Amino acid sequence: MKEAGVVIDHQGAPLFWHFPPSRTTAGLPDSHVLWDILWTARESIAGFAHSHPGTGLPRPSQEDLTTFAAIEAALGRRIEWWIVSYDRVASLTWVGPGRHDYTACPVPHEPAWTSVLRLASWQGEERDGLRDVRGTSQHHVEWAER
Amino acid sequence: MVFATYEARVNITWNGQNGDLPDTVEFDTADREVRRWVTEAVRTGGVPGIGPDGRADFADFVVDRFPANENRPYNLIQVRPKTPFGGC
Repeated sequence: MKEAGVVIDHQGAPLFWHFPPSRTTAGLPDSHVLWDILWTARESIAGFAHSHPGTGLPRPSQEDLTTFAAIEAALGRRIEWWIVSYDRVASLTWVGPGRHDYTACPVPHEPAWTSVLRLASWQGEERDGLRDVRGTSQHHVEWAER
Repeated sequence: MVFATYEARVNITWNGQNGDLPDTVEFDTADREVRRWVTEAVRTGGVPGIGPDGRADFADFVVDRFPANENRPYNLIQVRPKTPFGGC
């Protein structure tokens, strides 16, 4: 499993798939490319989703929380953050009062992009209906390091 | 404006706004120094294009460095939010 991410627009559609080559099971690396996308498309974005290993309702890591807060501080507004596990999705939003006070709610009706995010995260691993999509998901890969 | 090879423009994004420090800095200035100057400048309204914000905090921001190139004939330091995500 390798973590993956996607920027979602206000219509709920994927705006940018984030599959950096150095992503691992432990996380997604810092990327100025991702920040450039978030800043350039700031008027259009509703939030960002990324995957976590394991099953059950995912919880944010401390790294996640500090990144959420830093990006929102730069954007000047709050956005929605989704975390996708193998079988559940959580939506996180800032509730305050502290900088890193976010609350997670389960997402009962999963958006269509969650299946693509799971395929990109677990590709090559045949588990419970997740099939190998190597070679079929490449058209989603728009990531390029500068 | 003409930049010396050791100088850099510092670009900052904060609170939905973007601007440059009025003065250049040395390109190899330590990250902590860049963050300190940027924090002070934004808090006191010293960055054109960014309104003063006394609570500005760049602790979780990255100091990116881009050497001069054909399209941008000066060194650039970009102060932007970090973007890593960690599992579990």
